Amino acid sequence: MMISKKDFIKINNWLWEIPKSFREDMKVPVRIYISEKMLQETEDEALIQLVNTTTMPGMVKYAIGMPDIHSGYGPPIGGVGAMKYPEGVISPGFVGYDENCGCRLLLSDYSEKEIKPYLNELATEIQKEVPSGLGKGRKVQLSIGQINKILEGGVPKLVEQGYGEKEDIENCEENGKMPDADTSCVSERAKNRGRDQVGTLGSGNHFIEIQKVDEIFDERVAKIFGLFKDQVVVMIHTGSRGLGHQNCTDYLRIVIPVYPKYGIKLPDKELACVPFDSSEGQRFFRAMSAACNYAWSNRHMITHYTRKAWKYVLGERADLKLLYDVAHNIAKIEEHEVGGQKMKLIVHRKGATRAFPPGHPEIPEKYKEVGQPVLIPGSMGTASYICVGTEQSKEAWYTVNHGAGRTMSRHAAMRAIRGEEVVRRLKEKGILIKCRSMRGIAEEAPLAYKNVDEVVEVVHKAGLSKKVAKLVPLAVIKGE
Amino acid sequence: MEKYKILEHISDLKIRAFGKNKKELFLNVMIGMFEGAKYEKEEEEIKREIKVSSKDLSSLLVDFLSEILYFCETNREVYHNIKFKKMTDKNIEGILIGKKLKRMGVQIKGVTYHDLDISQRKDGIWQAIILFDI
Repeated sequence: MMISKKDFIKINNWLWEIPKSFREDMKVPVRIYISEKMLQETEDEALIQLVNTTTMPGMVKYAIGMPDIHSGYGPPIGGVGAMKYPEGVISPGFVGYDENCGCRLLLSDYSEKEIKPYLNELATEIQKEVPSGLGKGRKVQLSIGQINKILEGGVPKLVEQGYGEKEDIENCEENGKMPDADTSCVSERAKNRGRDQVGTLGSGNHFIEIQKVDEIFDERVAKIFGLFKDQVVVMIHTGSRGLGHQNCTDYLRIVIPVYPKYGIKLPDKELACVPFDSSEGQRFFRAMSAACNYAWSNRHMITHYTRKAWKYVLGERADLKLLYDVAHNIAKIEEHEVGGQKMKLIVHRKGATRAFPPGHPEIPEKYKEVGQPVLIPGSMGTASYICVGTEQSKEAWYTVNHGAGRTMSRHAAMRAIRGEEVVRRLKEKGILIKCRSMRGIAEEAPLAYKNVDEVVEVVHKAGLSKKVAKLVPLAVIKGE
Repeated sequence: MEKYKILEHISDLKIRAFGKNKKELFLNVMIGMFEGAKYEKEEEEIKREIKVSSKDLSSLLVDFLSEILYFCETNREVYHNIKFKKMTDKNIEGILIGKKLKRMGVQIKGVTYHDLDISQRKDGIWQAIILFDI
């Protein structure tokens, strides 16, 4: 089935609706935050995938698309769906295989000028300290007992063990620990895969970037966030690695055969879901919570190793403070206002980021006045943005996009450009690139992604979040 | 007959694989998965037993490939052949033949059910379309 312009209702310049009448099995309408130009450029498949998600039982108000929407499997990337609690559904495929893939930003006290002479050494040291974990993992294999501690205790447990600082806990979504995590719901296989991957980067679009604050749009918020022009910062983008992949695989295997018994009919098996309050739903939520704790612990340990490299090159007094850490593949229980009433919802965000407004009880005290810091990474070698949550994104369950979004397949990107050429172009722009091989570089070429500046402009104008600062890369460290 | 083709997909790895019977089809999907994500191998040969049961043929293919990815990651191996001992629409038993993994282009995160299709063409050739999250 194709979607054409006449199927959309324009709510305003930045919000479009596909009404329930579009397809018989839709339980709620679709809403997409996007410009008209970008909507026209969006693949039909991504839109159909969003229409498909509206068939999931218990979805409240709309299935929501973010401006970086593109097709994935089951729900699209850049898809959001909130279900009634506790009888609405929870879905492994609406979280994705990389449970709690996410981003964090570390702030230094240095300006670009001060760092320039050390840039190459810093990038080399960070690459040495943080392996990709693909060909080989970290040298240290944790025991299953140690993995269980991470799954249950998350970031606070690691801080207790002497890694990182107290502030690393409060500056992390959920304080780096989902309380419902239950290690008995996670398979031995998943735990096994996690044993040598705590503090590893992975592949694909995962990266560490040394960046600088190129432009500040909101001086007041920037000051509260601790940002200044030309400041050097470090962005980390990765997730729960093999442990999360296995966990999603395990629960799809559990959920797919049983969902019909709950009277659920779906147009795509990858949307497989069960009532949150069913035994399978409860077990998945607890296992996913544990995998999310693993992912936060992974980013936390990468931070630890990055700080080690930073101090090795710049001296013991050099520090990196965590601005914030946000997940972009996750399902959570949150309180939202629906029809004037506060109620709990099961919010799924797949390739979408939580963005709480000023005053929200779940954000750190120091950011309460202005709102939650939101991190939007660009594609390799392009700009990234720091935004701040707003009250206007209430209708989107306080959610914003997670990046630029692909516009070209990996295969097409490889045909369009060679890895060596991508590296040459980055070097021309003065960006240092550290990768172990050219493989995979072309697939992540900037030309394969939407223009992040354009995407963030939509975010800002639609009121999903407000722009605070633009970051540009100085050095890119790729996993593989 | 070609083993597999890489299909267009914006973010993930999608392939169409072929086989003159189901055994060859499953083998060729596995080869397409590893080659599609550029998993490179060392010389030394390795054998590993595999045993998978599922409720139907399409779940069997997903579970079979997920099992192989688990072996691949935990043992750092990549496989290029299978000696089937048993193959029905619900069960597989066999020996995977592979080599030590050297490096990979991009890691496969999961084997999805999205657009999954296994069918036999009029000319008797089996074909499977499958999408991997990468």
